[in-house]
Amino acid sequence: MADKTKVGKVFPPYTFEVEKGKIAEFAMAVSQKESKSQVKPIYVDSAAAKAAGYGDIVPTSTFNICFLLWGGGGLIPMLQEVGIDLVRLLHGEEEYEYLLPIHPGDVMTGVTRVVEMYDKEKKGKPGKFMEFTVLEAEIRNQRGELAIRARTTLVER
Amino acid sequence: MTKALKYERINVGDAMPTFTSDPITRTHLVRYAGASGDFNPLHHDETFVRMFGMPRVIAHGMFVMGIVGQAVTDWVDDKNLRKFGVRFSGMTEPMDLDDPNSRDRATIVVTGTVVEKFEADGEKRMRCDIQAADKLGGVKLTGSFVAALS
Repeated sequence: MADKTKVGKVFPPYTFEVEKGKIAEFAMAVSQKESKSQVKPIYVDSAAAKAAGYGDIVPTSTFNICFLLWGGGGLIPMLQEVGIDLVRLLHGEEEYEYLLPIHPGDVMTGVTRVVEMYDKEKKGKPGKFMEFTVLEAEIRNQRGELAIRARTTLVER
Repeated sequence: MTKALKYERINVGDAMPTFTSDPITRTHLVRYAGASGDFNPLHHDETFVRMFGMPRVIAHGMFVMGIVGQAVTDWVDDKNLRKFGVRFSGMTEPMDLDDPNSRDRATIVVTGTVVEKFEADGEKRMRCDIQAADKLGGVKLTGSFVAALS
């Protein structure tokens, strides 16, 4: 059961260095492709990205999930720290706001905080509640500029 | 390569081009696990999920969101994507390779509709509602995105 005294808690920052190979690997995964030559060139080829009006190779739209999962200690220890029951856990919502482009060589630092915890009565089950925990993350580049805002809603059913 | 979408040519009610994924296999889930760093055994280890009475592994919600992201950026340029959010509503089981009938439950169809045109931060933008469902009609997620238009 989520510990509601943890609202406002700020987790230690996590840092992830963006590499070309990881961008390509992620693009192949979400494109269901077997090789780099099959994905959109802006994800794998610097010259093609520049020709298409980008500063350099860019990652796909959900790539920033790597920053926490590979750059930090992962999500599970964080959830345990705020008392979330992993057996009841569902991913409810995920939302990103893109403020600046990300390119290979960037070093991204994310800070996640618990912004909200609340209960909602289950439909047709009076007295039974689902518990919601909302996390927000600010992800900045090596210049300290805010690149992505992320909001994650977790549900204990 | 996508073409720049023009504000004047986009109308509320326009449909995003429908996107159909390949049927999701366990190999896709393993590839996504490695790429993302999400190694929850729920997504690759059948001996784990059987302990909870589940017949087979399920796809990462974030993998399905990633597929939807590809559908979106097949239409709008990646650099024009401003916001992208989803609400997860259903689980996705991968296809069983020895059962061709399981293809449809593992095939994700992404659809979307323009719901708003507006100006913000000095640029022209649109908001689209999106949905991902399998070929049997089971809804996986709903959401929306905001993209800049030229």
